[in-house]
Amino acid sequence: MTIELTVDETAQVRLWHRVSQFLFREARLLDEWRLLEWYDEMLTDDIRYSVPATDVRGETAGALGLIDDDAARLRQRIEQLLNGEVWCENPRSRTNRMISNVEILTDRGTHLDVAANVIVYRFGHGRSDAYVGKCRFELVVEGESFRVRRRVVVLDHETLYEHGKLSIIL
Amino acid sequence: MTIELQRPVGDLIVVDDLERLSFRVDRRAYTDDDLAAQEMTRIFDRCWLYVGHESEVPGPGSYVARDVGGRPVVMARGSDGVIRVFANSCTHRGALICSQPAGQTRSFRCPYHDWTFSNQGELVGVPIPDGYGPGFRKADFGLAQHRSDSYRGFVFATFDPEQPRTLTEYLAGATEYLDLIDDQSEVGMEVIQGAQLHGARANWKLMMENSVDIYHFRALHKRYVSYMESLGSVPPRRRGGFGRALGLGHGANELPPAAARPLAYWTPMFGAEVRPRIEATAAKFVDRFGAERAERITGTNRALLIFPNLMIIDAIAITIRKIDPIGADQMAITSVALAPKDEDPDIRELRKSHYLTFLGPAGFATPDDIEIIESCQRGYLNRTVRYSDLSRGMNKEVPETTDELPAREFWRQWDRLMRGDDGHLEVAHRAEMQGAEPR
Repeated sequence: MTIELTVDETAQVRLWHRVSQFLFREARLLDEWRLLEWYDEMLTDDIRYSVPATDVRGETAGALGLIDDDAARLRQRIEQLLNGEVWCENPRSRTNRMISNVEILTDRGTHLDVAANVIVYRFGHGRSDAYVGKCRFELVVEGESFRVRRRVVVLDHETLYEHGKLSIIL
Repeated sequence: MTIELQRPVGDLIVVDDLERLSFRVDRRAYTDDDLAAQEMTRIFDRCWLYVGHESEVPGPGSYVARDVGGRPVVMARGSDGVIRVFANSCTHRGALICSQPAGQTRSFRCPYHDWTFSNQGELVGVPIPDGYGPGFRKADFGLAQHRSDSYRGFVFATFDPEQPRTLTEYLAGATEYLDLIDDQSEVGMEVIQGAQLHGARANWKLMMENSVDIYHFRALHKRYVSYMESLGSVPPRRRGGFGRALGLGHGANELPPAAARPLAYWTPMFGAEVRPRIEATAAKFVDRFGAERAERITGTNRALLIFPNLMIIDAIAITIRKIDPIGADQMAITSVALAPKDEDPDIRELRKSHYLTFLGPAGFATPDDIEIIESCQRGYLNRTVRYSDLSRGMNKEVPETTDELPAREFWRQWDRLMRGDDGHLEVAHRAEMQGAEPR
């Protein structure tokens, strides 16, 4: 039996596939510590990467978060991670990102709002931690691919008492 | 109050030798489960402990629920406007009467049997009251209220009804530094929403020591320093400043700013646009306080340790860091930012941004602090090395910030309380005090 898709549905499946592939590639580059490639090839120049606080979870305007990087600070974060200056990521931790529940929330032609769930396992310095969160991406369409313009990871943890720190890029 | 010594006489944890200028701490202080349990009764059950800031309960009926000294409490502003600290436990059978971390309410209702308490602590509702005899009086079942008080907006409570000191007496020389912080706004300071709730797998005292240790800064925080320099900050190489013992375990470092201060100390890293505003604020402080005190308020960094478990770090942003032990080898850290209520929105954004650059579980500095104290904790597993050394600056009349005087002040009070002494200043240690005696 074959399933006939309408033209619209075919386009949606293709788009969803491309977005998913894009996010999987992002996860792979981050897991492989190919951070400069990720920064150069997958992000816009005006990227903003945020992780809200675990208590107010980004719902409160003006609140302090855990991370709120513009392009310059994110670039700095990456350079520090790569050159061994980040004491707690030297030797580098091993990570494994699981991306799921990828959903295109809005398609504005040139921009997409995408939701996904993520679990990042981190192993290093005798510890193992899992970061569980919900991602929101604003993707800018660039030909057949995309660039990330806004990247928010809302952690589901009530606290990071167990983790202590967040020294990797989620 | 005397507490029986459980360690044999002569089995010292803190070895304080003023003659040899040597100060050592037996590493059992960081690893021993019995000592950790004793700390709860000898220190956390007795001292004044930081609960929160008045701005967190801004109006009648507002409250926050959190753990203080290992006990769940509610800090609530009653409908009468008074801030009280209650045990968060129903007087009937013990359930938490408040399970929301923060909110606004006229009353707290225990979900177990619907006992209801006003936001001033009185028991106001008991379902099916005919189950009690004539001797039952609601007045006997109000929420347990802890002795609490505030100083310049900082609310503290003590679980010891016999605590001999008022809060102001307890704070001793630390009041001077709380003044320097609260004086930063005429309309008051406020906690910015969004708490950084993290921790470390290390003894809580390691974070206290780390927070007043400037010696490690250039070694451990190279990446932060180089980033700030790349932004155009004045490199924090300028020496100067000093450490102080403030009495009763409190200590402080005071030093020239390493970078900039959002209130009123501009450097190029803040950008030209905000310069006039920041400089105008600086001028206002000179009018209000005179040049010398204005410089101290606006142009000086400080790290204040309030015994036992509060740090207030006033540098490129102000952080209030409450550190709670979880057994001997783990801690919870609660960090929030404090800022003037009337802060210019652009400058508030700068403050938050720079706070995040340095501080918190994902900043460019704090994660390395967490990792290094966890590393110390792992190092202690090798019990062959018995002592840690905190002697720096004992050879100086005015210890520098790269010395360890505030940490020694902390440990001396820790030692007095753990030995069952009620914490009066000992004459022998006044040599290391700089005029800050309890009033």
